[in-house]
Amino acid sequence: MDKISALMDGELEEYNARSALASLKSQAELREQWVSFHVIGDVLRQDAEVSVDFSKQFSDWLAKEPTVLAPARRTTATPRRLALSAAASVAAVAMVGWLALSENPLRQPDTLSQPGNLASASPARNAPSLEFETSSAVNDYLLAHQEFSPSTAIQGVAPYVRTVSESR
Amino acid sequence: MRKLPDGKVSNGKAPIGRLLTQPTLHMTSIRFRFPVFLLLAVAVNTGYAQQAPEGLLWLQKIARSARELNYAGTFVYQHGSQVETSRITHFVDTSGEHEKLEALDGSPREIIRNNDQVMCYFPDAKMVKVDKRSASRTFPALLPEQMKSLADNYQIRIGNQNRIAGHDCRVVILEPKDKLRYGHRFCAATDSGLLLKAKMLNERNDVVEQFAFTQLTIGDEIGREMVESRFDAKSLGWRFDRTAAPEASTDTGWAVSSSPSGFRKIVEMKRTIPGKPGPVAHLVYSDGLAAVSIFIEPVPPNTQFQHGLSQQGAINIYTRRHTDNMVTVLGEAPAETVIQIGNSVAPSK
Repeated sequence: MDKISALMDGELEEYNARSALASLKSQAELREQWVSFHVIGDVLRQDAEVSVDFSKQFSDWLAKEPTVLAPARRTTATPRRLALSAAASVAAVAMVGWLALSENPLRQPDTLSQPGNLASASPARNAPSLEFETSSAVNDYLLAHQEFSPSTAIQGVAPYVRTVSESR
Repeated sequence: MRKLPDGKVSNGKAPIGRLLTQPTLHMTSIRFRFPVFLLLAVAVNTGYAQQAPEGLLWLQKIARSARELNYAGTFVYQHGSQVETSRITHFVDTSGEHEKLEALDGSPREIIRNNDQVMCYFPDAKMVKVDKRSASRTFPALLPEQMKSLADNYQIRIGNQNRIAGHDCRVVILEPKDKLRYGHRFCAATDSGLLLKAKMLNERNDVVEQFAFTQLTIGDEIGREMVESRFDAKSLGWRFDRTAAPEASTDTGWAVSSSPSGFRKIVEMKRTIPGKPGPVAHLVYSDGLAAVSIFIEPVPPNTQFQHGLSQQGAINIYTRRHTDNMVTVLGEAPAETVIQIGNSVAPSK
């Protein structure tokens, strides 16, 4: 899996890239991984148009690609592979761009600037450090809270991911 | 980036064959005739039937399918700059609902829900947290009073047809009527009603958090063994932190003097919480969709007490002191709402 993400980011040497591509070709699970890396970016960025077609097309493309038999010929990058790595890079860049854009602006809630809330304004600015220290104690509260949140009714157990979310 | 890397744009056809072959939802007809009837009664009585019945019915459909369908899929959860991938599996049989949530990134963590019991497995810490829900609180679907509350606090609109993870879906938009709650943008599978994507938006329309399936299978292939923990056997020697089932509504002696508009108290109880020495007062306020919990306990000894606001994902957490008590307020609501509730917590007598 690490290999696949490295391949997507264009970080693999030719030999490794070759073997990663060969693995992609032979292992359906890895292909799903590859596709999901791309689909994740797509799905989060927009509301539509991802992409069973991409998955299918990718499989078709792999099926047509001749199997690489060792020892590999020393060839320069084929146009096809260049296109592939370019696609991966574009996806990676787009992902990073999207992440940067969606940095949570709520971290400094501006609602606190209202006069009535002056008392709370200064602690709010200390939020990041507090967050770090309290997160494990808060998780127990979060777990207890989740049961009663109506969002749990419409999303099932998915919102519980908040309670085990890892701070990285 | 609507175009795929090779420039091809998806053609909008979904593999709905599989969806159509899902097993008959024999539980549906029995369990939900009653609430749907009530919903309609409420809709007629309160006069919002003209504005939003379709949106509300969609929400009802979403809640129902989340309970009754067998499905398994991978979803991404994004909050702030973090993205996490998880896998969810839901299975229903005669003994009820079974659900499994696995974190696919970082240290392996698992949440298993069997009806009203939730178990969180943390193999790194060799620990299991067990939360027993009060059986009566298990939501069958959105309750009628909740639906009314929803319609009072949100403008509910039906949006475009869309497609997520290969499934056609219908966009349902909940626009908040004020700044005290977040907006929501759902996309629910057109045929089954399963929620495929859920976005929470703040007043500037920035995404606060979102869930989205990247792969999803609905129907026959899901089996009981898929919702069992892989740590089941291993966890025998681990530490178990148990929460006793909270008693049904009790008077905690605490109240919120000025709850934000649209938020009503939905439950009040005393309960035990793992890691807390004594019982903790727990009150929950909700506007029909967002919920804010208030926890009150004596300030733990030897604790560096910190007053203030923090965040975890879309959850705002506000802590303050009231005499010798620590008041912690948290919920999926804007900071202003959480703070307002926190600041007006006081003994009820």
